[in-house]
Amino acid sequence: MQRLLAFIKQIYVVLIFVLIEGVALWCYATSTPYTEAKILSRTSAVGGAVSGMVTDVKHFFSLSDKNRDLTARVAHLEEMLASRIADEGIDIDSLSSMMNARTELAYRYYPARVVSLTSSKLRNYLVIDRGADDGIAANMGVITPDRALVGYVVSCSPRYSVVMPVLNEKFRIGGSLAENNYTGSVRWSGTSTHHVDLIDLSTYADPRLGMAVEVRSERLPEGILIGHIDDFEFNATQTAYRARLHLAVDISRLDNVIVVENSHYGEIEGLMETMD
Amino acid sequence: MYKYISYVWLMVAVLVAQIFLLDNISIHLWLRPMIFPLVILLLPMEWRALWVMLIALLTGLLMDISLGGAGLYVASLLPLALLRSTLMYLATNRVVEASDQTSLLSRLSLRQLMTYLALALLLHHALFFLLETLSLAHPLRLVATILFSTLLSTVVAWPIVRIFVGKVLGR
Repeated sequence: MQRLLAFIKQIYVVLIFVLIEGVALWCYATSTPYTEAKILSRTSAVGGAVSGMVTDVKHFFSLSDKNRDLTARVAHLEEMLASRIADEGIDIDSLSSMMNARTELAYRYYPARVVSLTSSKLRNYLVIDRGADDGIAANMGVITPDRALVGYVVSCSPRYSVVMPVLNEKFRIGGSLAENNYTGSVRWSGTSTHHVDLIDLSTYADPRLGMAVEVRSERLPEGILIGHIDDFEFNATQTAYRARLHLAVDISRLDNVIVVENSHYGEIEGLMETMD
Repeated sequence: MYKYISYVWLMVAVLVAQIFLLDNISIHLWLRPMIFPLVILLLPMEWRALWVMLIALLTGLLMDISLGGAGLYVASLLPLALLRSTLMYLATNRVVEASDQTSLLSRLSLRQLMTYLALALLLHHALFFLLETLSLAHPLRLVATILFSTLLSTVVAWPIVRIFVGKVLGR
């Protein structure tokens, strides 16, 4: 014990330095979204590699489950395809031309795996194992394989990217009611990791409990589910609805995700900037 | 007692000059003079590192509050307080003794004093600009900013150092 105390006495200045420097760096890192994302992407290059190895081991042991799910999905898709061919008389040539046409569409999809995430803070982020070298760039949308909204990319290193998920107080995206296309703004109030708010929804929208809300954004294609309405009410000034949505995705259990690139995004942004 | 009051005046003068004058002068994107590390660099070398660190913390906090650094100034100034003696050894080959009661700074040659000052400012500016940009996307611009700003800071700080060491510590 005396040796330990003597040792601490020898290095106490360094310990105090590390403590104060750590607090100062933490304050600086969390002061703006830019520093937060930058430091997270820098640390993700190291931390991501370690987390990646751990995730690889986990994935190895869950391969059989994934394989079973994929097989089931392939079977389901084949069944749907066969059914459509039988119902609508689609021949292989027209199917091929349809697929060629699809590749010319605006969206490209990149599968990725989540290597680390937070879900207990007001500003949560997650790190995925695809970066600028894989064609990922800031502002690309991120969804789950079953087409539920996760968030969008805010920063990239060569091999990793930082995603701002829907569970971040800075997150904003358009959301529209699937049944009638009335659109509002989706944001997270930080009160529950399973709920977000849809605000500024028109008084003509006629929301109902359980109604699906989908993404309305230039980052993502149509049909991406955000969640379902759990509760709704007029806002304080009675000029719009405020709906509480139960998220379609459990952010804290994310594993595989899909990054979506809209190749027309830059053009749309450029056009919007000319309006400002 | 006279010297301690001189250190307080030095701190006030340097911080006022930094906050109200140097930070409002826009010379060039690559030229940002910062002389507030002088508060730490000119403290008696024989002082215990803990006291120097606490003064660095106070100085950094005042800068952060005044200029909205959110911890950036403290984080870049604190290593200087810890490594001051090492920098002095590198610049002058002199080891600082805790029992040294006479001011080591006033016994340095001008060349040694200049080397110590430039080395310390270079370390501080490198830390500051690295933390500020948090990016190595433009390494040449970063290096140029660090080098040119260090050069300008050294030029601006040199008369203050000469006057303080010569007139105050030299008495």
